Amino acid sequence: MSKDEHSAYNYLRHTKKFPNVWCSGCGIGIVMSALIRAIDRIGLAKDDVAVISGIGCTGRMPVYLDFNTMHTTHGRALAFATGLKFARPELKVIVIMGDGDALAIGGNHFIHAARRNIGLTAIVVNNSIYGMTGGQHSPTTPLGSRAATAPYGNIEPPFPVCELAAAAGAAYVARSTVYHAVELDRYIEQAIRKNGFSLVEAVSYCHTTFGRMNKLGPAVEMMRRLKENSVTKAAAEKLAPSERPDVIVRGVFRDEDRPEYTALYDEVVRRAQGAAGASVRSAGGAG
Amino acid sequence: MPAITEARPAAHKGPRGRVVIFGTWCKGCGLCVEFCPTGVLALDQDSHPIVVAPEKCTACHWCDTHCPDLAIVVQPLEVAR
Repeated sequence: MSKDEHSAYNYLRHTKKFPNVWCSGCGIGIVMSALIRAIDRIGLAKDDVAVISGIGCTGRMPVYLDFNTMHTTHGRALAFATGLKFARPELKVIVIMGDGDALAIGGNHFIHAARRNIGLTAIVVNNSIYGMTGGQHSPTTPLGSRAATAPYGNIEPPFPVCELAAAAGAAYVARSTVYHAVELDRYIEQAIRKNGFSLVEAVSYCHTTFGRMNKLGPAVEMMRRLKENSVTKAAAEKLAPSERPDVIVRGVFRDEDRPEYTALYDEVVRRAQGAAGASVRSAGGAG
Repeated sequence: MPAITEARPAAHKGPRGRVVIFGTWCKGCGLCVEFCPTGVLALDQDSHPIVVAPEKCTACHWCDTHCPDLAIVVQPLEVAR
């Protein structure tokens, strides 16, 4: 088959980087194709998009995407992206992170990017574990699950990613799963269109480490579990409070307009230049 | 409410899409085979997906939106109405 037949191939570095590095059946590839569909639907030119990532399985994604890309240090994807957004505010900056990358090593960058409401689109691929380094528990590993560093069960409660971002001040917050790939690309599209910090949590799975250590079966079984264990926001409100922690709630949790950080910063620059210009003029008039 | 001016033909028989698998990118995870609602695909002895029932494809695009390797495409076919 010719590569011209797939609409995504225009956005891929398909001549040298494929097949991709992820394990057979990994959900990260599904998030990547959802991101491509979202960008294709908005109709952005490839030069107007920048994709930034940190380290980890998810951090490999910009390697395959033919946009302006940066593969940065662990946890600092949002810090690099903040700098890029300052230098080139007209770019659509998309930050791809895993759960450990975004919430453990980069946890401070995450809450402060949300607090500032800087115009970035953050996509957190949540597979509940550090997959690439061998299955250490992460800030989103469910309570009681086994991991390489929690062989008798995890005793730390997980971070609720969307609630954390909303509490920190993000303008747009949504969650979907890789089973609901069409819903996921709709949320990513809305997030990219939003002027402000927008977060999409893509709930995925790691069958290679998390699935094996918790006896959850191959990728197909974990995908079916996402289908059966997730409900929409409206359906979750009808559940009994005791049932709610066991399900993945999908939907848009916040969508509001707040002043965007780079616009406010430009305003400060203008004000400072005006004050400086006035003082230069008054100094010249006195001399 | 628009009046019905002509009788609708019977439900369309035959495929609505053509499934193409890009074999060198596929890692054989089996998601497309497992979740295809009409059973167009099956795994061969090397656990790679093959099209076994092309006439059943409804072009729902489950397989090409969920392929982690971007190794499958459904090309919509023109359906005579």
